[in-house]
Amino acid sequence: LRRFLAGGAWACGLLGWWRPERWLTSSSLFPLSCVHTSASLEKFGKWEKKNWIVYPPQLPGEPRRPAEIYHCRREIKYSKDKMWYLAKLIKGMSIDQALAQLEFNDKKGAKVIKEVLLEAQEMAVRNHNVEFKSNLHIAESLTGRGRYVKRIRYHAKGMFGIMKISRCHYFVKLVEGPPPPPEPPRTGFDQAKEYVQQLRSRTLVNTL
Amino acid sequence: ALLGVFLPLPRLRGLLQRCWGRLERGLFPGFTGGQSPPWGPALAVQAPTFLPEPISDSRENDEAPSLFDSILWMAAPKKRRTIEVNRCRRRNVNKLIKVKRNIDICPECGNLKQKHVLCGYCYAKVKAETRLIRIEIGKKEGGPFNAPTVETVVLYDGEKPTEKDEGKRIIERARKRPSWFVQN
Repeated sequence: LRRFLAGGAWACGLLGWWRPERWLTSSSLFPLSCVHTSASLEKFGKWEKKNWIVYPPQLPGEPRRPAEIYHCRREIKYSKDKMWYLAKLIKGMSIDQALAQLEFNDKKGAKVIKEVLLEAQEMAVRNHNVEFKSNLHIAESLTGRGRYVKRIRYHAKGMFGIMKISRCHYFVKLVEGPPPPPEPPRTGFDQAKEYVQQLRSRTLVNTL
Repeated sequence: ALLGVFLPLPRLRGLLQRCWGRLERGLFPGFTGGQSPPWGPALAVQAPTFLPEPISDSRENDEAPSLFDSILWMAAPKKRRTIEVNRCRRRNVNKLIKVKRNIDICPECGNLKQKHVLCGYCYAKVKAETRLIRIEIGKKEGGPFNAPTVETVVLYDGEKPTEKDEGKRIIERARKRPSWFVQN
């Protein structure tokens, strides 16, 4: 058992560069251990690492960079194709609207995604300096394939099939600010205009 | 009279044999070539009891061409469906989840509710209180089938029964009256 740092205060001071999220997300018994071991801490995927990037301070004239919060949940017991429909539903909505839609949806993944969004909102207010928790919108929401396990499914007359138990990951990126206006659907007129534009922008190659 | 009965009998027997053969084949299509039975799943492995029978081959060889032409033969996909075609089908607009526009906020508690449905939070609140009242009733009655033939009135802390509640059964609850439970 490792007991490197017993106290809380001076440990925080020493490991000022250490992110407190790691302590919360790690499954180890001793949240103050400073050594990276695969036994005590989980493996961090790319999405979790996106929260650790630190930008240099902005110059006075620059427009304010909106806060971005990346959150995910791994190995959800649900199919990635079925989860995709929910992810597509809430893409581009404000967080309040997304939570409302998910609350009255009957799918199993809706409950999971609602928890993820509430966690991410909490993280945004606590760690990422977001002023209003309603001022967030969902910029990206994706699903990924988790680890599948193969199991035997017993049929009649001694027959069997091999079924796969599927799991999925869910990723969400919240951005501060009101949701962007939805882009108008592409009409035939737009397509025709683009075609004419393409024809007009043709030039002659290898000539004067 | 006897001659008239015997003549159609050989034709009848041949007809009956052909009908019976077609019936058998209709019940077990696919057994002709000694192939696997069609009702097993594609990936399934057969148990040893289901080995093909070579004896049935010579018996039903002349029947085989008619079986291949019959409509009873199984439908199978001709080509693999590409992922582009699959995506077009799965992501079609009618398959996506529709955005609900009938969500409001409950004026009592402020939680979200659907317009035509009771608020979930308020319902849970009332349900919990009803459960406690029912426990009190259970304690008063003492067992099943002891429900009295008079009405019941629920009184909270500091409430006295009025003259309207003369013959009614009184259930006491040891808490303040909730705001949503209006006293008559």
